[in-house]
Amino acid sequence: MNASEDASGPGGAALLELSGISKSFGGVQALRDVDFTLRAGEIHGLVGENGAGKSTLMKIIAGVHTDYSGTMRINGETVRFRSARDALDAGVGMVHQELSIVPDLSVAENVFLGVQPTRGGVIAWKRMVREAREHLAGLGIDVDPRERMGSLSIGLQQLIEIARVIFSGARIIILDEPTSALSPPEVERLFEVLRRLKADGSSFIFISHFLDDILRISDEITIFRNGHKIVSSPTEGIDKLWVIERMIGVGHEELGETYTGEFTLRPKAEKKVMLTASGISYERSLRNVSLEVHAGEILGIYGFMGCGVLELTRALFGKIKPEGVLALDGDTLRLSNTAKARRAGLAFVPESRRSMLFHHEPIFKNATIAILERISRLWLKPRNERDITQRHVESLNIKTAGVDALLGQLSGGNQQKVALAKWLTHAPKVLILSEPTRGMDVGAKEDVVKIVRGLRDAGMAIVVASTEPETILSLADRILVMKKGEIVREFAEGTVSKDRLLEAA
Amino acid sequence: MTSVSDPITAPARRSLGLWFRNQLRNIAPFVTLLFLVIFFSVASPSFLTMANLQNILNQVSITGIIAVGLTFVILCAEIDLSVAAIANVTGIVVAYFTLQESYVNIANIPLSGGYAVVFALLACFALGLVNAAGVTMIGIPSFIMTLAMMQIADGGSALLVRGQIAYAVPPIISTLGSGRIAGVPWIVIVAATMLLVAHIVLTYTRFGRYVYMVGGNREAAEYSGVNVKRIIGTVMVIGAVCSGIAGMLGVAYFGSAQQNEFTPYLLDAIAAVVVGGTSLFGGRGGIGNTIVGLFVLGVLNNGLDHVQIDPFLKILIRGLILLAALIINVYAQRLRETARAGG
Repeated sequence: MNASEDASGPGGAALLELSGISKSFGGVQALRDVDFTLRAGEIHGLVGENGAGKSTLMKIIAGVHTDYSGTMRINGETVRFRSARDALDAGVGMVHQELSIVPDLSVAENVFLGVQPTRGGVIAWKRMVREAREHLAGLGIDVDPRERMGSLSIGLQQLIEIARVIFSGARIIILDEPTSALSPPEVERLFEVLRRLKADGSSFIFISHFLDDILRISDEITIFRNGHKIVSSPTEGIDKLWVIERMIGVGHEELGETYTGEFTLRPKAEKKVMLTASGISYERSLRNVSLEVHAGEILGIYGFMGCGVLELTRALFGKIKPEGVLALDGDTLRLSNTAKARRAGLAFVPESRRSMLFHHEPIFKNATIAILERISRLWLKPRNERDITQRHVESLNIKTAGVDALLGQLSGGNQQKVALAKWLTHAPKVLILSEPTRGMDVGAKEDVVKIVRGLRDAGMAIVVASTEPETILSLADRILVMKKGEIVREFAEGTVSKDRLLEAA
Repeated sequence: MTSVSDPITAPARRSLGLWFRNQLRNIAPFVTLLFLVIFFSVASPSFLTMANLQNILNQVSITGIIAVGLTFVILCAEIDLSVAAIANVTGIVVAYFTLQESYVNIANIPLSGGYAVVFALLACFALGLVNAAGVTMIGIPSFIMTLAMMQIADGGSALLVRGQIAYAVPPIISTLGSGRIAGVPWIVIVAATMLLVAHIVLTYTRFGRYVYMVGGNREAAEYSGVNVKRIIGTVMVIGAVCSGIAGMLGVAYFGSAQQNEFTPYLLDAIAAVVVGGTSLFGGRGGIGNTIVGLFVLGVLNNGLDHVQIDPFLKILIRGLILLAALIINVYAQRLRETARAGG
């Protein structure tokens, strides 16, 4: 058992008890022999890195994963859910990071979604609005139930979704990253509502990467690593560093280090500024972001899922049109579409191979799509295209039967190399990479790191955006940390380690 | 996200299966055509003759010219429902600027023939631009945008002819639409030339590559720095201009310009492209497929006239054939997807 540091939480009897839970997906063990206890009237924080197992556990509790070993008890009674519906009937509800509201319906309809009060087969509007108002007021949410859901702020929409889950009878509510999209006052309001609900006897499991938030609101906290529960502890008297240490490697060291020690950043060379972004803002995802990328430098941008790094890469490549000013090599850029970005000398490899490659087409068509304008005016030159592709296949060590093989027949790592190759025939001024090594095996990862470093050494300016600290640490010469759409920290020169990166985000 | 981890070389047996799955959309229409030809040849002695082959070619020419433009549009995973209406209004414009008999009370502007043709081409080009702007700049789905354009073009036709029938067209249109050279109808030559040019454009030019890439994976094309909106806008204009040419020649072919005379061609042209095996989801197929599709429809329409069959049943049979083609089209797409995901 891994509960050596367990201490009993405040008051409350055990409401939900899990013991010996294991779950694997194919050959991958996602959870190993996990025990977990949620007490009545408790807010229980759940932390761990991506892939540590916390989402898997929550999906088991919410009845999404039904195939697991171990037992689950609610109020002492053994339960085994067959579906999310089962779980809800037993009083377990979940509020996902992506809200499941219907923006075009009114607040009242959203609160009563699927269970609208009717009279003679017709929706009883007045009653529904009245009850919704009472219900929301009871939770301290002041909003007109007749208003359109989509016109409300994200913070309010989320509170209303929580209200709906409560209203549908849930007593155990799982909140997945509830604060990731909220501004500080909205977080305050959420916490007020949670405290009130807690006093009324509801219990919450609060999953988040935002350790400050979790430490403020939770009574107890459980830390996961590599599918194991590392520790459960009352929140009283522990701090962020204590949590991070346990998330990445302290305690149960035999579970394998993800704590990777100190990384030395490269000293800032006096190199030319290639790309400047100033005051970039976009809807809710980017707020006044400014940065510079130098020639011959890999700039890492790190942040949690939903922090805005993905949007930032798209803003730099002209896929979205933010406010603010971009300048490349001294010239102001007006990127009304991605074709302009490409012509200006920008290159982008998005995180999903599906959204950057053509699986039904031969490799050579994938590799030359971004340079067609340079190698052909009107007529295609397939022989030329194949020659160029063949050179990339050799220099990047792409394993394929030939340049006419369909892209879909390559392995993921080789596909990623094709995605890089398509920008390398004519070196771009700035190469923007989003999650360049996600989901790749170790060998392919190393190859990609080597290729990217080679490009840096040849003088290219490179931006690497990732939500995985390892990716950033293994590549970056300088690191920016993003949080809720803003750049909050820069690591330049000296050393950096994973815990300091996590602490900043 | 699924990571694809196919082995580089598949065993021969499986690769044959894979090939078949990938080629189903090309094989099925061809087999259908072969089957129809054999069936009608056996069922009627008058079917398999040179004269009848000429008939069929003549009958599919207008559909073929419209289908050329539609092939571009459908390859980009868009649709154009206004092709027949634009053909109609363009045909009427060409008659409008031609001197008519005294009892036909439209503009009767005595322009030399060339101007009427230029005006008509400008008209269909402009309507195509409106389609393109609606789809790319405003973001209206092409299905709805071209539905509106269908009404607009029909409205234009109605206003120009006001219920009358015009017979006169410029001599060049009259020749190309209903004339012959060395026994071959000009309209067949025009259709064949346009199909050939479209095939060359789609296969051997940069623009053609972009059309396939945009249709195959629009997001990937955009992330590769392809100006996706310009490509989609261009195919919408190509669709309208091809329709316009079909409309002008059609007026000569029918011998008159009037309201609603192209209505059946909307369905026929879409059917030809889709029956031929061009994917409704974009990125797959081409002019070769469209030609096979045209012949399937042409042989079917023509063959049913050669056999003893209830004329009212013909419409139903055409509908069923179209449904079968749609099923194969969607099924072929799914087979490809599973072939890719499963290995």
